[in-house]
Parts: sequence; structure tokens; C-alpha cells
Amino acid sequence: MKKIKEITTRLEIAKKKIKNLKKNNSESNAASLGKALKISTELVAAVVVGSTIGYLFDNWFDTKPLLTICFFFMGVAAGILNVFRSAKKMHKKI
Amino acid sequence: MQQFEVYKIGPEINLGGINLSFTNSSLFMIISSGLILLLLFFGTKKKSLVPSKIQLITEMSYTFVAKMINDTAGSSAKTFFPFIFTLFMFVLFSNMVGMLPYSFTVTSHIIVTFVLAAFVFVGVTVLGFVKHGIKYLELFVPKGVPIVLLPLIIIIEIISYLSRPVSLSVRLFANMMAGHTMLKVFGGFVISLGLLGGWLPLGFSVALTGLEILVAFLQAYVFAILTCIYLNDALNLHH
Repeated sequence: MKKIKEITTRLEIAKKKIKNLKKNNSESNAASLGKALKISTELVAAVVVGSTIGYLFDNWFDTKPLLTICFFFMGVAAGILNVFRSAKKMHKKI
Repeated sequence: MQQFEVYKIGPEINLGGINLSFTNSSLFMIISSGLILLLLFFGTKKKSLVPSKIQLITEMSYTFVAKMINDTAGSSAKTFFPFIFTLFMFVLFSNMVGMLPYSFTVTSHIIVTFVLAAFVFVGVTVLGFVKHGIKYLELFVPKGVPIVLLPLIIIIEIISYLSRPVSLSVRLFANMMAGHTMLKVFGGFVISLGLLGGWLPLGFSVALTGLEILVAFLQAYVFAILTCIYLNDALNLHH
């Protein structure tokens, strides 16, 4: 009888430990680091894509610096929008 | 740098003006695909109730990807499991094989990662149009925007959509390239500081190797999870 009691208490302690581990994992696991890396490139990529589109249009319509500048700022806006959206998605999950 | 150089192995093959020679990059792609095949073959060979180590790894990677798809893209994306599993395992194994000394990191070249990302991008776009028809373009028109602002918003949304493959490929490429360059730089410090001061950068390089292994796994995970998110956008419009 004593042995069974001992085993049950030990089981409970082990279960608690697993629970705590899971809690810690969900807060600071590798996934959050992945999210951080994800957001930083999203901002840059949109700016690059916007500027490239502007540059291509400039070559096409012969309006050298004008469209590049316009599309650069639109790219910045798109980048911020991207970051804002992924931040919102993260917030929803928490 | 020498570790990023691509060189021919065997004869030069030219098909219609396109250079199709077998390079060290192709060799390491074949090695990583072969390793995946070996792992899955031996992992599923003996289906015992109490799994062996190799079977455990196989089953864990299966459930890991299945859970990821279920959490981010919903159950309707289950049909794309083979694609995402292949993508995840290929990126993971190319990154990990690249961590071995004297090997070549396939994913440290932007053209490789860009082709992977472009496949995802084109596939998701085609899927969206097949599933929703012309209504898929509603993705670019957010709800509740005044008509005056609409042209500007649509351009911004299109740029944001087009930036997906760029960010997806640049992230993987930049992380792998930067990590390997950093290891090389610290390795160079060890040599130049000599026996007296070289111990500190040596310790750093050991720590950075650990970090690199984490990054190698993480980037594969991020690549796969973003594919799932894009799939979710294409499958369930207006979530």
C-alpha cells in the first residue's frame, strides 16, 4: 500500500513537471525566434520589390526618377502593412 | 569565399544554350535527398509498436509537419501534406548537410532558395484562381476602404503580395550565408591571434556552430510554416 502511495505522489510530481515544461516552451521556444526573423525580412523585401517595380516602370515610360521614388514609398507602406499584419496574427494566437 | 563556390563535376553539358553541367551544388542536393529517402525507408521498414530510434525520428517529423499544417492552414490543406513535408525535409537536410565540414550549403545560394519560393508563390496563386476564380482578386481589396484611397491601397497590396517570394527566399539565403560567413570570420581570428589570444574566438566559433544548427532547423521550419500561411490565404479567402 505504501508503495502505491509513493508511486502516485511521484507520478503527480512528474506530471506537474511536464506541465511546467510545456508552459515554458510555449512562451520562449524556437518558434518565437523564427517569428522575429520573419518580420525583419518582410519589411525589407517589400521595399526592394516596390523600388524594383518603380525602376522597371521608369525604364518603360522614360520618366527616370519619378516612378522609382513613388514606388519606393509605396513599398515602404507595403512593408509596414506586412509587419503590421504578422504582428496582428501573432497577437491573435496569444 | 571558397566554401560558396560552385564548380563543375564531370563534363560540361550544354542543352540549347543552357548550361546544365553537374555541379557540386547538384551533388549536395542529391546527397540531401538521398539522406531523406534513406531515413524514411529505414524508418518505415519495421513498423514495430515500440519504435526504434530511427522510426521515432521519422514519426516525429511526420507528426510535426502534420500538426503545423493543421494549426496554420486548417484541415482543408491536408491534401498538400506531401508537398510541404518534402519542402520542409529538403530545406532542413540541405541546411544540416551544409553544417558538416568540407560540405557545400545548397541553400546559401539565392537562386536555389528563390526557385523554391517561386514554386510556392506560383503554385499558391494558381491554386487561388482555380479555387475562387476571378474572386481571388478580392485579396487585394480590403474591406471598408474609402473609394478615393482604393487605387493606392490596391497598388500597395499588390506590392505586398509580390514581396512574398522575395522575403521567403532572401530570409533563408541570408541566414545560411551570414551564419557560414560568421563562422569563417571567427575561424580566421583564431589563426591570426595565434596561441595566445586565439582561445576566445575559438570558444565563440563553438558557440556559433550550435547557434547555426538551431538556425538551420528554424529556417526550414519558418519556410514550411509560411508556405502553410500562404496556402491558407489561397484556400480560405477572408478568414
